[in-house]
Amino acid sequence: MSERLDLKNAERKVFRATFDDGLWDIIIAGLAMEFAVAPLLSPALGDFWSSVIFVPFLGLLFLAIWLTRKYVVKARTGVVKFGKQRIKRLKKFTLVMVVINVLALILGIIVAFYFHALSGQMIAIIFGLILLTGFSLAAYFLDYPRLYVYGFLLGIAPYLGEWLYSNHGASHHGFPITFGFISGVIFLAGLITFMRFLRNSSIAADTAAKGL
Amino acid sequence: MTDPQSGLDPHLLPDIDQVIHTPTRLMVLVYLYVVESVDYVFLRRMTGLTWGSLATHINKLEEAGYIAVDKGYRGKKPHTIIRMTEQGRNAFKEYKDTMQELLSGLPD
Repeated sequence: MSERLDLKNAERKVFRATFDDGLWDIIIAGLAMEFAVAPLLSPALGDFWSSVIFVPFLGLLFLAIWLTRKYVVKARTGVVKFGKQRIKRLKKFTLVMVVINVLALILGIIVAFYFHALSGQMIAIIFGLILLTGFSLAAYFLDYPRLYVYGFLLGIAPYLGEWLYSNHGASHHGFPITFGFISGVIFLAGLITFMRFLRNSSIAADTAAKGL
Repeated sequence: MTDPQSGLDPHLLPDIDQVIHTPTRLMVLVYLYVVESVDYVFLRRMTGLTWGSLATHINKLEEAGYIAVDKGYRGKKPHTIIRMTEQGRNAFKEYKDTMQELLSGLPD
């Protein structure tokens, strides 16, 4: 009871407790890894298939995360149904994310049409801004400050890659280096969070014995 | 009438709900107030209480009609869901207002 009892903070703490287990970080790392590896596969498979080949990999990752959450995490965190305000906020978040993704898609199509008219750095800035905006909005709506850091890291990755490509001759616009490194950092952060979560939350096996 | 020395309104003191006015039960109710429902595991994790202590306070709150405890099963395992009743929400709001009113008169 040393903490201040504040309803807003309590609600935030409840919400964070349900997903601050590092698994979302690992998913984000998996998605970021696609940007690192796809350019390397592109010469052999082409732009389309080098991205599509990741779908089963991401599917497996999602399945592994879902199973871990169901059998490992939920047994430790317990079950909670959020209040009306949080559900409203999550709905708003979903809507904002849909809008952001549609805008990103439209922007992507426009960039593809004017690909040769735009400089590599301009494309990198647009791509970075989309990532930064998406992650910042997610961080805001989910009350999850770590996403601001991920947004910043992923947002500067394309520009940094382009800089490595222009100044140091890094292959594939530097994407394998920048996205690979950032993906590794995010994965490590997720793994540490998950390990800490496992260490701090003992399995509630005795609930069954107590009939709770 | 407010006591000029302490700034407290003595008439409000008997109005303080003694079921809620216990640090542990207040903490349990704070968490229940901000959600729709939780299970025992979640509530224990949030409050940091032992199973025994949590069960005792849950029983007290259930007896007062402030929370509802639904015992069921999840698969083959027992699974208990706890939620705040409408009566509990009203009592909590009233407690909050009373405490605010009571303490707002205190000098800095």
